[in-house]
Order: sequence, then C-alpha cells, then structure tokens
Amino acid sequence: MAFGYHGRYLRIDVSSGCSESVPLDDAILRQFIGGSGLGVRLLLDGGAAEAELLSPEAPLVFAFSPLVGSPLTTSAKFAVVSKSPLTGRVNDSLASSGFAVAGKRCGCDAIMIVGRARELSTLILDNGEARLESAEEYRGATCRDTEAALRARLGAGFRIASIGPAGENSVRYATISHDGRHAGRGGSGAVLGSKNVKAIALRGTRYMEWAHPRELTELSRSLSARSFGPATAKYRELGTAANLLTFNRFGALPTRNFQTGAFEGAVSLSPEQLSATRSKTRESCVTCTIGCEHIYGSGKNGVRVEYESLFALGSLCGVSDADTVLQASKRCDELGLDTISTGGTIAFAMECVERGWLAESWLKFGDGAALLRAIDLIGSRQGIGDLLAEGSRRAAQAIGHDSLSIAPQVKGLEIPGYEPRALQTMALGFAVGARGADHNRSGAYEVDFSEKVDRRHVTIEAVRHAIETEDKAALMDSLILCKFLRGVFDDFYAEAAEMLRCVTGWDVDSSELHETARRIVSAKRQFNVLAGWTPAEDTLPERFLDTPLPNDPAASLSRERLAALVAEYHRQRAW
Amino acid sequence: MQVEFFGIPRERAGVDSLEIPAATLGQLLATLKFQIPSFRDFISEGGLHAAFAANLNGDRFVSDPATPLRDTDRLLILSADAGG
Repeated sequence: MAFGYHGRYLRIDVSSGCSESVPLDDAILRQFIGGSGLGVRLLLDGGAAEAELLSPEAPLVFAFSPLVGSPLTTSAKFAVVSKSPLTGRVNDSLASSGFAVAGKRCGCDAIMIVGRARELSTLILDNGEARLESAEEYRGATCRDTEAALRARLGAGFRIASIGPAGENSVRYATISHDGRHAGRGGSGAVLGSKNVKAIALRGTRYMEWAHPRELTELSRSLSARSFGPATAKYRELGTAANLLTFNRFGALPTRNFQTGAFEGAVSLSPEQLSATRSKTRESCVTCTIGCEHIYGSGKNGVRVEYESLFALGSLCGVSDADTVLQASKRCDELGLDTISTGGTIAFAMECVERGWLAESWLKFGDGAALLRAIDLIGSRQGIGDLLAEGSRRAAQAIGHDSLSIAPQVKGLEIPGYEPRALQTMALGFAVGARGADHNRSGAYEVDFSEKVDRRHVTIEAVRHAIETEDKAALMDSLILCKFLRGVFDDFYAEAAEMLRCVTGWDVDSSELHETARRIVSAKRQFNVLAGWTPAEDTLPERFLDTPLPNDPAASLSRERLAALVAEYHRQRAW
Repeated sequence: MQVEFFGIPRERAGVDSLEIPAATLGQLLATLKFQIPSFRDFISEGGLHAAFAANLNGDRFVSDPATPLRDTDRLLILSADAGG
C-alpha cells in the first residue's frame, strides 16, 4: 500500500448501524487519487448512477485524499459525492478544515453511507468504530448550533459535519456544513437528510506516514511561502467578493435573474464599501496559509462573505441593501442552503411574478424583506417555499408558460455569478459541466479574462482552453488542494506530481497526472450516461441564446455557435 | 487617458481611477510605477506582474508594452485571478 493512504474505505449502513471495512486497490487509488476522483469511482462501483434519487440505497461518499494531514497548505479538504437530488446527475461538492483531518485519522480513505436510520441520528465514528445516536433533540437546529452542541457533548476532539433544517426538509439544494463552511452545491445535505442523519462526528488517532517526509516538508515550506505572494493577495485582502465591481465593470454581473449584466447597486455590496462601514476579521481553514474568509460583524452576528453569495442574494435578486444581503447569506448558512441555488431560484420566481406567471405579488425584485421571507419559506418548505425548494428547473416545470426558458440553470443546477453571454468560454464550461452550471469544476472564466480569446465572440479555439481548466480542476479536487492556490504554480502538473511522489512514494509524473485528470472527468461523464444523460442537456437556457445582453449588445451568443462549441468539446473529449 | 483600478490594484493605488497620458501600454506602466510607489513590485520592464491583468476599454486584454493607446481609451487594471 502506498504511503498517504489507509487502503480501505468504510461502508456504513445506517439502516442497521453495521459498518464494513472495504479494501481499496492500490491501482484504483493511483488512477483516481482521492477526493472527487475517488468518490466518483466508488459511486460507480456502488451502482449509484442508477439508484433512485434520495432512496436509502443511493450512497453518499465522503472522500479524503492522500495529501490530507500533510503539511501542504490548503490540503485539509474533503469531497462529498453522490447523485444530486437537484440534477439527477453526479455531484461532488468540497469543503475544508478539521473534518477532513479527523476523517483520515479514523483510518479510512473514504466513508460511504447507505440506508436510512430509523430516527434522526448522529453517526459517530470514533477511531473507525461506527455507532448511531439519536439526534431528535437537534431537529430543526441550525448547522452551527448542532455542531456546537455535539462538540460540547462528545468532546472537543470530535469534528462534526451537519445539515440544517433545509437538509432535514429535503430541500434539493441543501448543504452539509462543517465549521461554518459548506459542501454547498447540488444538494448533498438533502441526501444526508434522506438517510435520517443530522450529523457525522469523527475522531481518530491513526496518523499517516509519508514516503519522503524531509522533501515533503521542504515542498510545503516553499508552497506556503508562495501562498503569501501577489497571486493570492486578492483572497487574503478582499476575498472573492473583490469580483463584484470587476464583473460589474465588464457587464458580466448577473442581475435580476440574468435579465442584464450590470447592477446599479453594486458599489454598496462591494467589499471596499462593506469594510468601510463594518468590522471585519479573517479566518482560515486548518493548514491554510491564505485565509480567504472575510467575516463581517463579530461573534454570532458575524457573516462570511463570498462573491457568489453577494451576487446571488444581491444583484441577481435586485437587492442592493448590504445589511439585507448579509442577513440573507447568514440565514442560508444557518438553514444549510446553497446560496447560489437559493438566490437563483428566488430571482427566477421574482421574474415569474413580474411576468404574471406566479401569484405571490409580494415577491419582487429589490425587496429585501421578500428575499428574507422567501429564504425562510424554502428552508421550512412552507407556502411557495415548497415549490422553490425544488430548484428553478422543477419549479419552472410546475409553473409552465415559458418559464423554463428563464430558469437560470443547466442540468438543474443554478448558474453561478458569471454572465454567459459576456463570458463565452465560461458559457461552454457551464453547458458541458457534469454537475451542471458550475464555476468550480470549470475555470473557463480564466480564459475569458485573458488574451487567449475574445470573451464576447469566442471561437472553436476556446474549447481546448476550457478543457484544460476542467482537467486542472478535476485534479485539484482529487488531490485535494484549494483552487485559490492555482496562481502560485509555474507548472501545476509537475508540482502536483512532486507532491504526490513525496507523499505516496509513487514515481508519478506530469504526463500521468494529465491522464488522471482526463480519466476523472470521463468517470463523471460515465456516471451521467448511466444516470440517463442525453446530449441535449449540454446547453444553456433559451434566455442566453440569440438574445444580446441589454447592457452590452456586443455580448451575444448564437444557438449555432454554442452548439458548435459543445460539439467540438465532445469531439476533443472523444465522447 | 483614464486608468481604472479594480480589486487589489485599487487597494494598492488607493484610488478608483487616474488620468495618465501615454502613447503605449509600456509608457503608461512606467508612469504608473513612478506615480504609485506601491505598484513598483508589480511592474517590470516586461509589463505587469502575472497576478495582475490589463484590459482595454472592457474589450480585450493586453500585455504587449508596445500596445498603442489613444487619449479616449480606458485601461482597466485588475487581479488576473478574476474568478473564485
């Protein structure tokens, strides 16, 4: 067995409470590494693609990676992988910090959960020994309160991931939260909720050994030193929220359900403005030297601010009042809701009201009170919230009219804060994404913000660039390393190979990792094909096709051009 | 011509925008380096540090120091790492 691995995963059936240690072949680990890659492979082996959504037999995998527990900066991450209740396709969402380290110390490379517990339960894994305890007393509790209560009861040595009320209520875009961070996209919280598991508590003492510890320490020092440089300054000093004014200037800030790409209230939501009028602190995940989390306010009132939350709950809903947007973001965190899908679905509903397709006249663009009310209704699935908890695609199918054409989603996953007509390499990345419209699995926006393409008139040449970003993301998500590090590498694949060599002892090189990345992307595709994928899914909603952006008429994407890009993508992938 | 700053470049510049006369991108960056000392570490003879990017009028990204500029142009300087 390679260093850096335990060579086994735990399969826990929460119906019976039984757990089984399943060996993992060295070859499989080398082919899929860990994180997203390993998780998808385990799902394929477990027949997850064909499983009914949210059924007891549908597995949910927490996958760790060989780098977890090493001194490499940003390596304390884990992937949560399952069939998405929102898309019916593969879903891998990542989160960070001590849960990953504790999971690895439990003596396994992944945890697969199947079944459905008889009552709302906490799954406790203490040094690899699994048991279930009732969590009925935490029913309805927020993610933060659940985590605090469980740590107080079980002991500070435990690391806990939990769902909020949204996960309990099967909101299709519910998150799994750990230490204030979320495995956010695609509804993994609903999957855990469907198993009647409120929380997972981990503690372990099985430390790893590295193949070349001295070289690994040197490598870690070098990487940490570079992580303090200019390539990560944006994340340290302003956070991802720095995108807001930049995107607005480029006419690429989605506004009022993607009706336009410029928001008149952008300045009031910018980090520059937020920090001028509020106290701010920074936090880091375990082992991270970047510290990208910018928290406005203090104590229990503190709110983590990310670009995606500001865009989705701000400009996308037409809300410019910063206090309201911060409150909305905090409420999503408490309920365990993905802020992108929450904002996207509410903005969609607001436009449906505007067009007379929905009767909820109170749900208007720009109305902060309506935004907050809608979030609470979604979390509890009450009133209109029951429909919106299904996500914009299912809601559109129920609303009818022409609403599917304005539902801001691909494969059912709501589109993040990148206007596709203004950023057309990203448009391709969204269209072909295995888990739907996604900025974490495709970094194609980087291509749009470069000299490589004309972002508003991309050609076939953009396809290979989009593929490169998708492959790189697949590898980073499987190693796992934070993508905020991506700017510090001169040759990412070569450096990643060196990291893996030092950790595992494999004689891996850059060329092997290129192949590995493509294999992982293909495995996600294989999952989707087994789950019923058809080529027609690789597209964008009608709204984005043949209609220029009102704020920038040059930003227009024809149906034919997108189809040509997608066809070329499939050709280059050899699918 | 007008230079607009976004994100970290704005933090370093301390202003949203500046009027700087220049015939080429190279001239503009040289002037910028002189006017804003905190930019010195981010501008070399070859152009902007890889962590920053320059865009002309919101249309195209530019890096060649010989890129001609007109009085009516607006140069946008932003973090190269635009997403997140």
